[in-house]
Amino acid sequence: MTQRIPWARISWEHWVAGCGLALLLVGTYVGLFVAPPERHMGDVQRIMYVHVPSAWNGLLCYTGAFVAAIVVLWTSRPKWDAAMVGMIEAGVVLNALLLVQGSIWARATWGVWWDWDVRLTTSLVMLLLFAGVMALRSFVEDAERRTTWTAIATIVSFVDVPLVYFCVRWWRSLHQVQSTPETVDRAMVLPLRMNAVAFLLLAIWFAARRARLELALRRRDEVAVPERRELVHA
Amino acid sequence: MSQLTAPTLTSPARAEAGFLRVLAGQTVTVLRKDLLLEWRGRSRLLSVMLFGLVTLALFSFAVGPDSANLRAGASGFLVLALLLSSTLALSESFRLEHEQRAIEGLLLLPVDPTAIYYGKALGNTIFLCLLAPVLMWVAMVLYAVEFGALTLVKMLGLWVLAAAGLSAPGTLYAAMTSRLRSQDVLLPLLLFPLVIPVLLGSVKAMDLVMTGDPMSQLRSWSLMLLAFDVIYWSLCGVLFQHAIEDP
Amino acid sequence: MTPTTTPALEARDVARRFGRHWALAHLDLTVEPGESVLLAGPNGSGKTTFLRLAAGLYRATHGTLSVFGRDVRAERQTSRRFLSLVSHDAYLYPRLTALETVRVWARLLGRPARDADLMPLLDEVDLTAAGGQPVGGFSAGMRKRLTLLRSRLEGSRLVLLDEPFAALDVPGQKLVERWIAGFRRDGVAVVLASHSLEQAARLCDRAVVLHHGQKAWQGAAADVVSRFEEVTCRN
Repeated sequence: MTQRIPWARISWEHWVAGCGLALLLVGTYVGLFVAPPERHMGDVQRIMYVHVPSAWNGLLCYTGAFVAAIVVLWTSRPKWDAAMVGMIEAGVVLNALLLVQGSIWARATWGVWWDWDVRLTTSLVMLLLFAGVMALRSFVEDAERRTTWTAIATIVSFVDVPLVYFCVRWWRSLHQVQSTPETVDRAMVLPLRMNAVAFLLLAIWFAARRARLELALRRRDEVAVPERRELVHA
Repeated sequence: MSQLTAPTLTSPARAEAGFLRVLAGQTVTVLRKDLLLEWRGRSRLLSVMLFGLVTLALFSFAVGPDSANLRAGASGFLVLALLLSSTLALSESFRLEHEQRAIEGLLLLPVDPTAIYYGKALGNTIFLCLLAPVLMWVAMVLYAVEFGALTLVKMLGLWVLAAAGLSAPGTLYAAMTSRLRSQDVLLPLLLFPLVIPVLLGSVKAMDLVMTGDPMSQLRSWSLMLLAFDVIYWSLCGVLFQHAIEDP
Repeated sequence: MTPTTTPALEARDVARRFGRHWALAHLDLTVEPGESVLLAGPNGSGKTTFLRLAAGLYRATHGTLSVFGRDVRAERQTSRRFLSLVSHDAYLYPRLTALETVRVWARLLGRPARDADLMPLLDEVDLTAAGGQPVGGFSAGMRKRLTLLRSRLEGSRLVLLDEPFAALDVPGQKLVERWIAGFRRDGVAVVLASHSLEQAARLCDRAVVLHHGQKAWQGAAADVVSRFEEVTCRN
């Protein structure tokens, strides 16, 4: 007897990931083989098709975590804590990828693995900030305190991001013209946007899976209230 | 022991006062209490000062005896010495509170957690400011920098802004990490990336004060430091109650 | 507004979990203004947890707790004005003297804090001679007297006492008994958690026995000594 795949029981985030992967494949193909090379940087520029989506979606994840953190402080609901953790970790993964990609780009463009470019430096600080939040969380044993303190650290860290950006910009700016569609050749916009959406869908998948894990861990530790005992008669 | 009579209860004297007046009064009382405790344990202030001096000396050894290099990095070394000393000060301020759960006693009185925060953050800022005269004097000697009177005043002003910038988030994080194992690792891990704007701003501003400011950038950096202080003194004051109360 | 008609303390189906362990479950307890209740039970039965919940130091996992009609958690700044907690912890700063400690408390409570106002308070607990000594060097009895002084300073309408006789010599215990009697005379509600059943029962109107985090028995305080073993030996 053939076994049927229980399509209805596949979690929604797997469908999202499927779409994301498909879009990533198409977008990457277009970016690597269809879009023209950049006039000055040549084929090295093609790293933009993963670098910029990583940056956009990493920041989006951190923003989502910030909003979830505010809701957590207001409601203390485990679901919002799980969502916050999922988005922080997705953001950290994208942030780390961003730094690796940026390093490769710096090496190819400027001949060094690291330069104190404004956005690269800000990304490094963001990674340190949110990795610190994850470290704090790992040391707190009580679930409710862990929730509250993670939310506090997330809010404090997120507020710092624009301050770091402007500060580093004043401190040192090795110009990199911002890669918005208006300043990017039209032929490059399509794969950039496709990959941006693909990364978003994959980030949603990652965050959702992590959130489910967090909720499952929390439920594992929950025990039902004992039965009410009879009073001994006075 | 004398015969003690049971107490008679007078009518509660917790007057209905304006909220801000009460908050200010409690903040001042917490600050005075902390300053008195620091005075009683002033050997610790000396130890932290010595730690700062050791840090300044270590930078000299790391960079080498070239006076030009040392002078060029003087502002950075000073601010780093302040930053590294701050974690010692911050973690100690909450160790005293948890020793006999004194902070829980404050919350039960009740003292508004916001008052506890601002009292302790002000105390930490004052403590860090006390390091300034000694560390600056040693930096002048070790790194061959000279301060005129006006330069010194500006440097002290920047030091106050930097100390306030470290104390605001530092007090919040110290309240949390002081209850955990590995607080000696966690507090710097959380605080140092966060205060990079303070580090950059104060180093840049002090450098301009010491070497000259031909393009009038000092004002911008000082305002940036001030903006950081205003943002974090407000934000951390709001968040502190969540950090200090048990779930 | 001074609350007079609402219960001093009202707990409804209160439960509290720490990790996988339920320290309290299904606890209903009402304490009327001026009433004194003995909370008895073996170690680990949930007495300290309940008192800390009542003081708003923990959030109840389930159920509601209010002090004079104010939720102890949502309105804790207000509910704490009505209560005092005298617990194992002295809430002291070892480097401060007794006089300095009382001065800090008085200032935080908005009370007069000159020496002339504070010395009579230290007289009441016989700590005048030790007023200039750091509290870090105080004996258990001296720390307890200072803590009782704090509850007087707070002027509360509900006093929660967690093992007030523990680690005290006989004169110290007599002092605590006199203070509790004084609270009762002044119409202050008292919830007293204690292993010293005979001693505590004399001071209370009513008793509740907790066992495994739940209410196992309640009745007249005079009966608790005779019923305690029977109640706690079940399961």
